[in-house]
Amino acid sequence: MPILSPKSWPLAIKLSLTITAVVAAVGFMIGAVIVAQDWKRFQDELGAKALLLSEFVAITTPKAMLRKDYWQLYLSLKNMASRRSDTTGGHEVITAMILDTEGKVMAHLHPAENKMDLPFSPVNRIEEELFQQAMSTRSTIVLSSGGFSKTGFQEGVVPIFSDQKYMGVVRVRLSVAQLYEKAKDSAMIVLALVFCFVIIGSGLGTIVSRRMVKPLTAVTQGLEAVGRGEMTDFTPIPINERDEIGRLSVTFNQIMAELAEKKMLEEEIAMSEKLVALGRITAGVAHEVNNPLAGLLNCIDTLRKHPDDKKLIDRYLPVIDQGLHRIKDIVHSLLVGLKIEESHETMSIQHIDKLHDLIKAEIGERNIDIIWENRTNKDLHIPGKIEQIVCNLLKNAVEILPQGGRVVFCMHQNGPQLVIEVSDNGPGIPSNIRNQLFDPFFTTKTNGTGLGLWVVYRLVQSMEGIIEVMSDEDQGTTFHVSVPVITMKAA
Amino acid sequence: MRLICLLLLFWVYPVFATETEPPIRFGLTAVVLTENLRFLDQWSQYLAQKMNRKVEFVLRKSYQDVMDLLDSGGIEFAWICGYPYVQIRKPESLQLLTVPIYRGAPRYHSYIIVHHNSPHQHFSDLKGNIFAFSDPDSNSGFLYPLTLMMDKGEKPETFFRQTFFTFNHAETVQAVSEQVADGGAVDSYIWEYLAIFRPDITEKTRIIKTSPSFGFPPIVSRVGVNHTTVSLMKSTLENMDEDSAGKELLERLKLDGFGHFSDSLFNEIRAMAHKTQRADPIYSMLPTD
Repeated sequence: MPILSPKSWPLAIKLSLTITAVVAAVGFMIGAVIVAQDWKRFQDELGAKALLLSEFVAITTPKAMLRKDYWQLYLSLKNMASRRSDTTGGHEVITAMILDTEGKVMAHLHPAENKMDLPFSPVNRIEEELFQQAMSTRSTIVLSSGGFSKTGFQEGVVPIFSDQKYMGVVRVRLSVAQLYEKAKDSAMIVLALVFCFVIIGSGLGTIVSRRMVKPLTAVTQGLEAVGRGEMTDFTPIPINERDEIGRLSVTFNQIMAELAEKKMLEEEIAMSEKLVALGRITAGVAHEVNNPLAGLLNCIDTLRKHPDDKKLIDRYLPVIDQGLHRIKDIVHSLLVGLKIEESHETMSIQHIDKLHDLIKAEIGERNIDIIWENRTNKDLHIPGKIEQIVCNLLKNAVEILPQGGRVVFCMHQNGPQLVIEVSDNGPGIPSNIRNQLFDPFFTTKTNGTGLGLWVVYRLVQSMEGIIEVMSDEDQGTTFHVSVPVITMKAA
Repeated sequence: MRLICLLLLFWVYPVFATETEPPIRFGLTAVVLTENLRFLDQWSQYLAQKMNRKVEFVLRKSYQDVMDLLDSGGIEFAWICGYPYVQIRKPESLQLLTVPIYRGAPRYHSYIIVHHNSPHQHFSDLKGNIFAFSDPDSNSGFLYPLTLMMDKGEKPETFFRQTFFTFNHAETVQAVSEQVADGGAVDSYIWEYLAIFRPDITEKTRIIKTSPSFGFPPIVSRVGVNHTTVSLMKSTLENMDEDSAGKELLERLKLDGFGHFSDSLFNEIRAMAHKTQRADPIYSMLPTD
């Protein structure tokens, strides 16, 4: 599933996702810092309030403590607790107590569980520690449960002194529950703000990234078109900015314009070349056909003048026959060379091996060695055109070789390519005529048509293949043909 | 013109006279009555209207404070408890004026209450616990539980682990309902009064002992107060049930009215006071000085 891999995602999506992620991360970080600071401030304020309440009780209690006026002490706690929850509505007093120097309960906000005049008994280890801290302090302190929890508290501890004599301690514990709700609410607001921030940020990110990526997409599409060879219908990228992307677009537009122009020129050249080639073929045909025709017409003319001259007939008929065959050969080759696109027939690759015998027959009594190497898969099917290519190349090689020469035929597969190599150790091709090798009617042989290699070239071209010639004078010649036909396997 | 001025003077004079006459001062403690200032205003206005003199309620924390005011002449009348009333003063500084009639009789009880969840069923179960008294000069809130302990040969210091005074029957009920004290002694009149107006508090208490009936906390006058004023106050209070405004006030007090009763009404209290004094002379020192 390539769509799942981020590497294949469009740049516009990746860019906007990155911007969204960055905005979200920054937003959440700022949000977290705000919430954490808020919480700390709330806690500190609550601690200060707890201390204030404890001090308020501590100031009013020494006399009642001296008189052991338990009821008055209880009422002072009770009033303090109810005053807080009634008036400010802010912070609930979880518990409050007045302890004497020995840690006995003088008054407790929850008298049922904490009987007066009995030692205060902490319910757990943490409470025990807090109790020890409260009993040992001789100055006001704030004890805190710490952490971000609904059940947390802040406790103000104030020692009671009368005439500089330590009498006990007041502990007032406030719940952070309401603060927790408040902090949670503000956290929710921050979260909502961050969320809005992220949505706006990602929206902007998307717009910006799309704007930035748009010219790049156009450049990519343009390059893809170049890859496919379509350059003429390219619409120039609109240029709105003068930044790097703008400059890239300008350059790209220029390149594309130049490429299109070049393509057009190439097409024009190709067209004129085609016309030239056509002209050359026409001239070749005219010339090649005209040559024997003149002889033939002379022969016929002479025969017509001397219809009874048997010697003349015997002499001229083979000449006429030879001339007509030559014309036939030329026309046949031209037909093969010009009609190749229409042929789609295939054959077994083993068929090529039959050419081995054909060429041997062609050599006849001449002392020419043939090395035959067919390394292809025997089940392959190939276009029929291949046979013509191999035949022509082999004939060419055999014809040019002197006595004792050698021809090497080699055929193998290279991926989708069928590679054919025909080498000889003949005289080689003079460098001055190498670029004319594949021209029609170009020949170095005395009675050649000059169409053999032209036909080979046309066949290779029709199959989108490559033909290369490597030749050194006196070293021999190698024709290297590579055609992408292996996929054309017959069922 | 001169005549008009003279007439004006005469017309103004009686009003002016009532304004300048010192007000009648009536001592109260929170022990007998909850501190309902609006009600006291209405009651003082009623009395002032009936007696044609300004009446002022003087509130003090304890019976002792009220008794001190009576002694020093700071007040003319007071609503006190039977216990301070029966104590012997030489010379006698106060006299019985009238007694409230509550539920048909000038009598009330002392309730020994515990928290409604408390396991205690009897007064003796409260031994070793915390006990709330209302006022050291209160019959129902101190003298009665004291005699209960005396009967068992105990003293508050030994019988209870800890005791305290609330100086207010309502707060004694509160102390027990909130479990500051394991038990308390209260005036039945106040407890019943609270049961009507603050049932949330009384519902959390349970009566485990009801005392025999005692003479209701009486209204007394200071010896030496003008006889006319004394009898005017007496008749005004005793006739409150005869007009609608008075009835309304009595209804608010949850009393039937005020009536004339003899001093013997307080004999039971007197006997208890005598008993405790004999048992432990220190308690005779508490109410006086």
